[in-house]
Amino acid sequence: MPFTAKSGKFNAKINAVEIGTGDKAIKIGGENVLPFYTFDDAIENAPKVGIEITDGGVAAEPECIQKCYEGCDSVVDMAKKAASFEGVDFLSVRLEGGDPNGQNKPTEELIQLVKDIADAVDVPLVICGSKNVEKDSELLDKAAAALEGRNALILAAKEENYKTIGASAGLAYKQVVGAESAVDINLAKQLNVLLTQLGVDGKSVVMNVGTAAAGYGFEYVVSTMDRIKAAALQQGDVTLQMPIITPVASEVWGVKEAMASEADMPEWGCQEERGIDMEIETAAAVLASGSNAVILRHPESVKTIKTLVSELV
Amino acid sequence: MAKFVTIGERLSTTAPSVNKAFTERDPEPILQRAKQQLAAGAVYLDVNIGPAESDGEDLMKWVVQLLQSECDNVPLALDTANKKAIEAGISVYNRSKGKPIVNSADAAGRIEYVDLAAANDAIVIALCNGEGIAKDNDERMAYCQTLLERGLEHGMEPTDLWFDPLFLVVKGMQDKQLEILECIKMFSDMGLNSTGGLSNNSNGMPKHIRPIMDSALVAMCMMQGLTSAIVNPNDLRLMETIKSCDVFKNNTLYADSYLEI
Repeated sequence: MPFTAKSGKFNAKINAVEIGTGDKAIKIGGENVLPFYTFDDAIENAPKVGIEITDGGVAAEPECIQKCYEGCDSVVDMAKKAASFEGVDFLSVRLEGGDPNGQNKPTEELIQLVKDIADAVDVPLVICGSKNVEKDSELLDKAAAALEGRNALILAAKEENYKTIGASAGLAYKQVVGAESAVDINLAKQLNVLLTQLGVDGKSVVMNVGTAAAGYGFEYVVSTMDRIKAAALQQGDVTLQMPIITPVASEVWGVKEAMASEADMPEWGCQEERGIDMEIETAAAVLASGSNAVILRHPESVKTIKTLVSELV
Repeated sequence: MAKFVTIGERLSTTAPSVNKAFTERDPEPILQRAKQQLAAGAVYLDVNIGPAESDGEDLMKWVVQLLQSECDNVPLALDTANKKAIEAGISVYNRSKGKPIVNSADAAGRIEYVDLAAANDAIVIALCNGEGIAKDNDERMAYCQTLLERGLEHGMEPTDLWFDPLFLVVKGMQDKQLEILECIKMFSDMGLNSTGGLSNNSNGMPKHIRPIMDSALVAMCMMQGLTSAIVNPNDLRLMETIKSCDVFKNNTLYADSYLEI
C-alpha cells in the first residue's frame, strides 16, 4: 500500500494578535500547526523578534552591549538605535528603575520617558514593568494611557494585579494585554479566563508563560509551552489560544554563563560570545516550544534568531 | 482525548410547551430553551420533533434555520422517525460548528438511517438494538458490528457512528446496569464513539434524586470511555460532574474557574 502522509494541521488555531500601528505593525500567532511545522500547513505569521532596552539607558547594559550603543546620549537615542538594528520587529522598554526596592524612580518620570520614546520611534512597542506587583499596577496603567492609539503590548497583568492592568490596558485604552504566569499551566489558563471574565477581548491578549535561561529549570518551561499548545490546538481550548511572547533577555543576562567576566573565568572564554550564545540558545528553544515572539538584548542575537526564523518559515 | 460532548435534550415534543411552539411555529419558547442549554454548556442540541408525519419536512427546516441563525450555527442532532424530515433539515444545515447528527438508527427497522447519514456526511447515533432490547452484551456487540459494517460499506468514518448501548431504567432493570457499563468499555476499546439517553436510568425516581443518579452514572460511564450523552444540561450537578471528569480524564486543562467555562 502506498504511504499517504497525513497532515498534522488542527481545526483550531492560535489567535493572530496585532501589535503596533501602520506599516511597522506586526502580527503574532494565527497558526494551526505545531511550531515551525510548515510541512503541515502554512504558518501565517512568522515568530517575531524584539529588542529590549531599559530606563537605565546604556549604562545599565552589560559592557559588551554598551558598545553597540556608542554615541547614544539618552535613553531616547538608544531606543532609536535599537529600533534600527537588523532584524528588529519591535522595541521592548523595561521600566526596571521603578522598582521600590531598587531605584524607585517616580512614575511620572518613567511615563515621560515612555512618551518620549513613543514619539521617537514608529516600531511596535512592548512596555514591561518593574517586576514589583504594586508599582506595576500604577506604572502600567499610566503607560497604557500614555500610549493610547499605539496598540502597544502592556507586559504584563499578573494574578495579583490583573484587574487594574486588564481594565486599564484592555478596556479603557484598548492596548494589547500581556498575561503573565510563572511556568504554571493552570495559572496561565486561569489568568486568561479571569481577564476575559473582566471583559477584556481574548483576541487581544498575549501570554508570557514564564521562562528561564537554558539550563536553569528550562525543561519545565518547555513542557509548559508544549502542554499549552496541545490544549489550544488539539483540544481546541479557546482559553489558551493566545499567542506567547517570551522575554528571554531579562533571564539570560542575569546568569553567570553570560555575566561572569573573562578575567574571573578565563577557561570559559569570551564573555560577549557566551552571552550571545546563551541568548540564542534560549530563544531558539522557546521558539521551537511554541513562543510566537521573543525579546532579546544583544543586536547579534536578534540578527541570528531573525535569520533562523526566516529560514524556517 | 476530546472533551465530552453534551447533547441537550430539552427541545423535544415530549415537553408540552415545546410541542405547542413547534406546532404554532412560535420561536420564543424554542429559542429560550436553546439558549438556556447552550449557556449551561451544551455542545449539541437535540431537536426531537416526534413522528411528525404530516409536516415534518417543513417543521424540521424551520427549526434548524431558526436555531442556527439565532444561536451562532449551533450544531444539532435531528431526532425524528420521519426520514424525509431529517433530510430536509440537513438540506438547510450549516456545518461550520459541527456535522449534523442523525438520531437515530438501530440494527433492525431503522438501519437505513445509517445510509441516510452516510449519504449526507452526517454523524449517526447507532442504537445497539434489534427488535426489542438486547438481552446481553453478546447481542449488543453483534448489533454494533452490524451497524458498523453498514456504515463502513457506505463509506462512513467509524468515528461518525456514535454507538448507543441503550441506557436502562434502574427501577426495574437494576441488575442490567453493570452490563451497560461493560458495553461502553467494549466500544471504547474498539476506538468507537458512544452516546445515549443517559437520564433514562433515573426515570420514575423523585425529582430531587434524578440529578444524583445521573451524575453518578455519567462519572462511571466516562471512566468506561463514554464520549457523549444526551442529557439535560441545565442539571447543574450533572454538568459539574461532567466538567470535573473531563479534568480527571485530561480532556481539558484544569483552571480554578473550570466550572464557569
